[in-house]
Amino acid sequence: MKEEYKIKLVSKEVLSPTCAVLTFYCPEIAETAVPGQFVNLSCHFFLKRPFGIMCVDKNEKTFSVGVRQVGKGTEQILEAQEGDTFTVLGPLGNGFPFDDVKKLLLVGGGTGIFPIYFAAEYAREKNIPCHVVNGYRCKNDAFLYDRFSCVCGQFDVTTDAGDLGVHGNVMAYLSSVPDEELTDTTVMVVGPGIMMRKVSEWAKAKGLTCYVSLEQRMACGIGACLVCVCKIKAEQEGKEFVHKRCCKDGPVFLAEEVIW
Amino acid sequence: MSISVKVGSVNLKNPIILASGTCGFGRELSEYMDLSKLGALSSKGLTLLPRDGNQGVRVAETPSGMLNCVGLQNPGVDAFLETELDYMVRSGAGVVVNVAGHSNEDYIAMVEKLDAYKEKIDALELNFSCPNVKEGCMVIGSSPTAIEALVSDLRRRTSLPLWIKLTPNVTSISETAKGAEAGGADAIVAINTLLGMAIDIRTRRPLLHNNTGGLSGPCVKPVALRMVHDIYEAVNIPVVGCGGIATYEDVLEFMIAGASAVELGTITLVHPTRPVEIIEDLAKYCEMNQIDEIASLTGTLELWR
Repeated sequence: MKEEYKIKLVSKEVLSPTCAVLTFYCPEIAETAVPGQFVNLSCHFFLKRPFGIMCVDKNEKTFSVGVRQVGKGTEQILEAQEGDTFTVLGPLGNGFPFDDVKKLLLVGGGTGIFPIYFAAEYAREKNIPCHVVNGYRCKNDAFLYDRFSCVCGQFDVTTDAGDLGVHGNVMAYLSSVPDEELTDTTVMVVGPGIMMRKVSEWAKAKGLTCYVSLEQRMACGIGACLVCVCKIKAEQEGKEFVHKRCCKDGPVFLAEEVIW
Repeated sequence: MSISVKVGSVNLKNPIILASGTCGFGRELSEYMDLSKLGALSSKGLTLLPRDGNQGVRVAETPSGMLNCVGLQNPGVDAFLETELDYMVRSGAGVVVNVAGHSNEDYIAMVEKLDAYKEKIDALELNFSCPNVKEGCMVIGSSPTAIEALVSDLRRRTSLPLWIKLTPNVTSISETAKGAEAGGADAIVAINTLLGMAIDIRTRRPLLHNNTGGLSGPCVKPVALRMVHDIYEAVNIPVVGCGGIATYEDVLEFMIAGASAVELGTITLVHPTRPVEIIEDLAKYCEMNQIDEIASLTGTLELWR
């Protein structure tokens, strides 16, 4: 039987005044989580808040999430101190499918870089060649830069400000990648909706399989309440879309099935 | 010591029912609890035809609760009968089927379909109170005479217990409850969500893409409790209390106010194991306080005079 775990914050790595990596002790999640899955974490407000898992440490029995302040719930979570207790549901949702992946292109943006980091670590474990392209706003915003550099074979960044890597968004980089480098590549994208949409259109044009991890306002996170649905192309003829639950049927979906 | 209760002719092993729309048909929550421990489970609100529900943002958090505008996304009554009803029966929880129509004809057609499966169903919960669909439901549920007419028509079409889930978005819920009783209802379920709104001050648009939504969670409990009390005073049929229940003490409050059983909803979305914990807490409470029958608490409220 799954449980709601009581967990302790064991470390907080502050990345900026509005962003941090929080690490919690929770053997159950550390043991079983896979990249693309998320946790629903308590805060002082009524509903839990969903966060993509950034990494697990099976030895220390911990998992980490990247938290960026977007509202009062995340603001309060970021104020937490080591030793503070939370409750959590997880790991939730479906992760990225890694079976049959020969070569990986991971594209991250915003808080999407955190679950992308988990995918990059996992690819290294599975000896899957992995190229990460992250889009940042500016150099100061380039979180996990050193860690990504260590974990994947090739790491490239773009910045809107142009003070690090390629000037522009991730498309500015991707559109310059020669086709021969893309043979046998599977693409996985986590980031703002517009970025995931652009990257999946690009991947489609290149004939690449592409997965995206969708985000929606959630309540239960376990598929019971139906508030977090997204529009997915219907298989049934004469029907344009079906509403699938981001939390339970996703958050990872095949990009070509998504109606943006 | 017994925590079993009766809602009219329906026997429940305890007073805890999972509220419609917060538990699907039980599949998701079965990963977090043994459903057979529940008194009953009320299905997602069913419509005659499948519904995709509302588009866009469907949830907004509030202090101690949430607004939702799911809009009755459901597979339709035929798919329910084909793929979900047997699952609910096998789960071991009592089976309450929530029925939501857009018109009197919808309710009639669905009740007739469900009546054919009456040996598998403990009660039909007629949802006259969904605030998130444009037609039917809450419109019917706001008029005591419309409720009476429809319930008495449905009464003739099935021998299944008919529970009427009422909306709080009326001037007097006692009057709509009396309408249901006059039509031959077996029980009143109160309350469904309170119609509410949340606004994004940056865009000056409602947060919910349906503009309004139904408020639920601990914030509505005092309203629900008062309404259960009013209904208990007004009618002679049992009342199932619903609205913001989060602890065993809340359950006891509702029972003292007049509820024969209760429904838990929004709290399950935050703490999916809570319903079973509450059942255990109720048993402990009864034991510690030498209450032989939890059902004896129903309606024991003594008002200040």
